Amino acid sequence: MQVLIITTQNGVKTNLPNLFGAARILANECDVLVVGHELTDVVRDVATYSLVKEVLQLDHANLKHLLAENIAPTIAQIVKNYTHVLIAADAFGKNVLPRVAGILEIGQISDVTDILSSSVFKKFMYAGNVLVELSALEDIKLLTIRTSNFDVVEDRSSTLALITQVSYDGVNDDRVKFLTEHNSYNPVDLSSAKIVVTGGRSLGSKEAFDSHIRVLAQKLNAGVGASRAAVEAGYANNDCQVGQTGKVVAPNVYLAIGISGAVQHISGMKDSKTVVAVNTDPNAAIFEHADYGLIGDLFEVVPTLINRIN
Amino acid sequence: MKILVGAKRVVDPNVKVRVSADGTGIDAEHSKMSLNPFDENAIEEAVRLKEKNPNIEIIALSIGNEKSIDVLRTAMARGCDRAILVFSENNLEPIMVAKVFKHIVKQENPEIILLGKQAIDDDANQVGQMLAGMLNYPQGTFISKLQIDDNKVIVAREMDSGTETLELKLPVVLTADLHLNEPRFIKLPQLMMAKKKPIEQLNFDDLGISYKESTVLLQAYDGEIKKSCKMLDNVEQLIEVLKEKKAL
Repeated sequence: MQVLIITTQNGVKTNLPNLFGAARILANECDVLVVGHELTDVVRDVATYSLVKEVLQLDHANLKHLLAENIAPTIAQIVKNYTHVLIAADAFGKNVLPRVAGILEIGQISDVTDILSSSVFKKFMYAGNVLVELSALEDIKLLTIRTSNFDVVEDRSSTLALITQVSYDGVNDDRVKFLTEHNSYNPVDLSSAKIVVTGGRSLGSKEAFDSHIRVLAQKLNAGVGASRAAVEAGYANNDCQVGQTGKVVAPNVYLAIGISGAVQHISGMKDSKTVVAVNTDPNAAIFEHADYGLIGDLFEVVPTLINRIN
Repeated sequence: MKILVGAKRVVDPNVKVRVSADGTGIDAEHSKMSLNPFDENAIEEAVRLKEKNPNIEIIALSIGNEKSIDVLRTAMARGCDRAILVFSENNLEPIMVAKVFKHIVKQENPEIILLGKQAIDDDANQVGQMLAGMLNYPQGTFISKLQIDDNKVIVAREMDSGTETLELKLPVVLTADLHLNEPRFIKLPQLMMAKKKPIEQLNFDDLGISYKESTVLLQAYDGEIKKSCKMLDNVEQLIEVLKEKKAL
């Protein structure tokens, strides 16, 4: 069993310990490929984790923006040395790994939530309504990992793992040009937040969303989430969306404010440890998926809550 | 210019899917079926481009049995010019779907392949990227904005924290996020017109590809977790819960 984790500078800061949690189920050691530019410090950090046998550094100016066209051909060569390839199911992993699979013309399993053996994996289908166990037939198992479902493994070793520079052919794909990026201001990373406060369409305006959901989240040092309806109404950015087509979160506490509980939303938060729901409608579906419920008007409950925290 | 769009027949998003009694699959025999919502976004965008440039031809591709003709008719009612059905009784995995698309791309040479970012049945989010890898085409995934500029497209991609804008040279593979547009309602005359539009039917032998599985489904379970909710009387009790769970 040869396990490879693929990550980036940002991945090392956020979900790498959860990927170790997944890798540890398969083997006692793994290699980590870090992709990007100016990675010297990051790679040294990765080399201190106990589980790591070797760190592969794929570091080049052309890889600064992590464009799949530049990265995938090199990764497609590297993965041939492994039986299992794990990457977080975030925007980077979802973009790059299937392109690698396409180059190799082999299948991939997306959003793995559990590893039962070296070839049997669990994942959800149909917006989380169905959980399946799949037996993977390919020699190389390409897996995107739903990191919030795996334990954090962050044991460090006093000795550094071997660090190897991966040669990169340096050919920049001139058909693809990075123009700009707009980063949203999210003080707490939603995917890895310990507490998440989520608002729905019943907030009624962006101003109300900000003064209720964002302020409460700030008080609790929580990530800000939104239902698809709230995002479509323009109350919050797309990157706040929790659900089938947005982010999947599994915090210790999930506070659902004015969320009706559509199945597409539930699929993004059902693994939260404790769910607390506030809704005016006692029949709202969210209460079937909550541990604690409060029937009440969010415009009364949230300000009182904020006042009491103050 | 040609645009190839995908049209997958899936269980309607409003239907609650059930696991079959023996746990070997999904009980979808009598469920209402629809065009995959993300494919609707992709088709809508292609139609908007065609409204600005009438020289664009839009071809819809579906893979499945004769029942998939329904979603191809829907695609053509939405504005696609013609359709191709590649016949298969098997439920294809993304890598097989990408292989079929590759053959149709070789046959039709579209400048843009515009797909939904994921199908709402397997939620895999793979086909567009796999196809781009196979063809060695640039890829613009999870796009929320699209603009054609001569022999290039400019796309905004939805990222983990914000968006990024890329310029990609044609031919390209693009995958649509739900935020790309709001698909319009279909009117009756368009449905009538769609019945006159041609559907070419091909099978795997015509394309020279053979069916292969990369996974086997061992067991399916009901994925829904219902909890017994303890109702609280007031905000004070809510604060106690937050304290107990160390959120405060």
